[in-house]
Amino acid sequence: MFIRMIRGALIRQWKKMAMIGFTIALGASLATAMLSVLYDVGDKVNQELKAYGANITVVPKEASVISDLYDVEGGESSGAYLKEDELGKIKTIFWAFNIVDYTPFINVNAKLDDGSSVKVVGSWFNHHMELPTGESLDAGITSLRSWWEITAGSWLDEQAEADENAAMIGTALAEKTGLTVGDTIHVTGDVSDGSYRIVGIFDAGGEEDDQIYTPLNTAQALAGLDGCVDSIEVSALTTPDNELAIKAAKDPGSLTIKQYETWYCTAYVSSICFQIQEVITDSVANPVRQVADSEGAILDKTQMLMILITILSMIGAALGICNLVTASVMERSNEIGLMKAVGAQNSQITGLVLLEIIIVAIIGGAIGYVAGFGFAQIIGHTVFGSAITMRLVVIPIVAVIVILVTLAGSIPAIRMLLRLRPCEVLHGR
Amino acid sequence: MNKKRKMYFRMITASLMRRRSRMLIALLAIAIGATILSGLVTIYYDVPRQMGAEFRNYGANMILVASEESFTLEDVDQSMSYIKQNELVGVTPYHYETVRIHELPVLAAAMDLEQVQKTSPYWNVDGDWAASDGELMIGKTIASDMQLGVGDSITVTWTPSAGDAEAETTAQNEDELILDNEMEMTITGIVETGGSEEDYVYMSLADMETLTGTVPDLDIAEVSVSASGADLENYKNAITDNVDAVNARLVKRVTASETTVLSKLQALVLLVTIIVLALTMITVATTMTAVVTERRKEIGLRKALGASDQSIRMEFLGEGLLLGGLGGILGSILGFAFAQAVSINVFSSSISFRPLLVPITIIVSVVVTGAACMIPVRSATDVDPALVLKGE
Amino acid sequence: MSLLELKNVSKIYGDLHALDDVSMKVEKGEWVAIMGPSGSGKSTMMNIIGCMDKPSLGEVLLDGVDIARESGKNLTTIRRDKIGLIFQQFHLVGYLTAVENVMLAQYYHSIPDEKEAMEALERVGLADRARHLPSQLSGGEQQRVCVARALINHPEIVLADEPTGNLDEANESIVVELFHKLHDEGTTLIVVTHDPEVAEVAQRTLVLRDGRLVKETVNDHFTGVIHYND
Repeated sequence: MFIRMIRGALIRQWKKMAMIGFTIALGASLATAMLSVLYDVGDKVNQELKAYGANITVVPKEASVISDLYDVEGGESSGAYLKEDELGKIKTIFWAFNIVDYTPFINVNAKLDDGSSVKVVGSWFNHHMELPTGESLDAGITSLRSWWEITAGSWLDEQAEADENAAMIGTALAEKTGLTVGDTIHVTGDVSDGSYRIVGIFDAGGEEDDQIYTPLNTAQALAGLDGCVDSIEVSALTTPDNELAIKAAKDPGSLTIKQYETWYCTAYVSSICFQIQEVITDSVANPVRQVADSEGAILDKTQMLMILITILSMIGAALGICNLVTASVMERSNEIGLMKAVGAQNSQITGLVLLEIIIVAIIGGAIGYVAGFGFAQIIGHTVFGSAITMRLVVIPIVAVIVILVTLAGSIPAIRMLLRLRPCEVLHGR
Repeated sequence: MNKKRKMYFRMITASLMRRRSRMLIALLAIAIGATILSGLVTIYYDVPRQMGAEFRNYGANMILVASEESFTLEDVDQSMSYIKQNELVGVTPYHYETVRIHELPVLAAAMDLEQVQKTSPYWNVDGDWAASDGELMIGKTIASDMQLGVGDSITVTWTPSAGDAEAETTAQNEDELILDNEMEMTITGIVETGGSEEDYVYMSLADMETLTGTVPDLDIAEVSVSASGADLENYKNAITDNVDAVNARLVKRVTASETTVLSKLQALVLLVTIIVLALTMITVATTMTAVVTERRKEIGLRKALGASDQSIRMEFLGEGLLLGGLGGILGSILGFAFAQAVSINVFSSSISFRPLLVPITIIVSVVVTGAACMIPVRSATDVDPALVLKGE
Repeated sequence: MSLLELKNVSKIYGDLHALDDVSMKVEKGEWVAIMGPSGSGKSTMMNIIGCMDKPSLGEVLLDGVDIARESGKNLTTIRRDKIGLIFQQFHLVGYLTAVENVMLAQYYHSIPDEKEAMEALERVGLADRARHLPSQLSGGEQQRVCVARALINHPEIVLADEPTGNLDEANESIVVELFHKLHDEGTTLIVVTHDPEVAEVAQRTLVLRDGRLVKETVNDHFTGVIHYND
């Protein structure tokens, strides 16, 4: 009989139930969309922040201040280099998946034909790598210097250029020499000289504008430094630093074993640095504070902002559902008065009303979850141009919220219904 | 007519006042909707400003360089007059000089030690920031190479002309006997940035003046402005055009990326706002519909008493208007409070009140409430009063 | 000319003839009771006379106008101007006070006038309860408010649908007493009821069964006493 009554209520009052279900679905879709976006917003914004370039630099351990200073004065380099053949190992560290991009640099001093000195920088542009995991990665300054404005020509395409004698030059140098795209620039290095075809001119807004950028091997040949790399810039997705990370960054040795494991297995910038040092011989990896710190701050703020918006919208959705459930249960005072008049126990009435509402809530919640996931995808594709990951953890959260909220919405109404005296209801007072 | 209007208001207020619990439910729903509307829209408009401030973490987004040899602090002050005071985060003038520590040449940057904390907030200083009077900070690389630590006293040596590579020093300097200037300084902190900043030593402009005996010319000034895109471009042009001694340049890496990321963030908040708003408005509408549907009998009675559909609609619209207006006002206040709370919690700064948003919030609440009332009222007035009155 | 005349009126719902070829007349100032068991077509007839429903066949002449041919909007106007309704379930607006409920009828008819509404409540003996909400009034008091509301616009006909159905005996006699008073003042009364005691006091009793008019009784205590009180 109980089941028959519920079925009866659901079918005969389908319009009202559909409205409740619809509101619950809306609330659930809101919660799903916001939670899905919330869980993903960190990764997405992190990706966007990659526009600021590398957040880790790797240099040889022996590189000293002297080399830099002599550079300023046009002297020799100090002679400590990283090994080019170890570059691939960066993608084998524990947090390899978080390394989104990296590129090596070799700086070579050379002379132009008029005798003025010029810096030739060898690097990757869009270097193609087949990783041991079977994935492939195109890495280089094309993406790591995304803020460079190409004023003429295009980015050097390493994969398409058969020979290695292509180069890009800065706007300042182009202006000074009067060269444009398609011209050839001749430079003399310590060991050999070379003529490079200019494929692109860039405006970087900094000292790079006076320099020549060539593929790594081209610059190495100029100085006779085959297989040598000055520095590596790494762009990694990181978790904002907390106290543990700050402590570890100073000295990983000061951590307890448990702390060490937590630190090592979290994508803090310091643990990624530490892991890079493990695979690149005689190297020092340092976070680029300008990028790493700011990234952390912006990520934290964005996430907090989203959390607060999520909370507000959830409160809104919850109160909306509560409201409607209360309003629609109260509407049924006549029916419930009648049930009481024919001898229904309070517990029976409560059970009936709650079960009905819960059935509707589950159906509405399920529809809402699907719709909400759709909304999340709209946000993902419109804003970030990529899908939002489906996270299973969202389902139980949404389910708990929907059921709690629905129950909470029913309680005041049910209490009111139980206080009703059947005669009053039936006499329409 | 006057009496009629009086009765109209009497009925509406009676409906609102004497059916308190129901009307509270409706009012609550509308107020939530209005809160979300005004709160999210306020946040949406404030995100670029607030987030822009966060992006200042990346440091200077504009640099001033000399159009000729060098420039002075007066030129910097003049340049800054073209930037709105509340948008200027900081400006740090720099003077570079090669000095010697323990007979090794190092590059020293003399600058405004207070401003640099604003233009380069990402510097990680182990120890304390140096002040004036013989205090200096050294880069991490120098510290490890020379094995210097916080608290060490060092002698900084400066050789006129010889050490000053770019200075075509004045004639008298060449005639005089070249003597090294020396100064005892204490290291208060070690600068760690992960970049080339670690290769310098840092001191105040005043100390540099003491060391060299001349007022240092400026090589560069770093400016951090909370503006992006076209505004920043305008500042740059204004300074370059109006101040002869300096050229302003934008730091591409910071400005270009900031525009990209900020626009994405704003798009995110916009989309979230739209979706949340749409769903909330529908929820408000369904609640209103439920509240009005309850009153089908009353509508039937009014019709039986001879009310035209028109006048019934007017009455419900009147109630909707009042409820919507009340909810809108409430929502405007709560929404601002929410936006303020978000701003203080997330960005630790207060939000600016947008007066225009109040009427908009109220109008939207009134329209949504009115529209939501009209659906069930229309369906109730379409039915014969006899059927409605007999009703289940 | 009669005030109200039904000519061969039928109301058909599918196969069901709720009213089947009913003809009757009501003169001005008359007090008529319509009786019959449930499902006999009382309510249908009441709705048609009250301009809340239209017959499928036949003519309904109210003051010489055939209301069966009028549009919904005109029906509303006719109902408002010529008919005062009293319901079994009272149907008062819950959030309006007694006097406001009376004024509501004035409001839709012409112009609300609180003084006039108070006088109407005085006539039904409720002047001291005028500021109470329906939930604070007893059933009999509520029905008296309905009577006041039905009278406030001086309708041609007062139409009462089971006015005593929800009342105890004491209240029933108060309402019947009121009807007597109204009748004495010249109001035309049509009372639909299944209570023989209420029907008895009318001048004329019509009995419906299965949609047909089966019996008409003229109650002798009224014979020949017709007031014209214009």
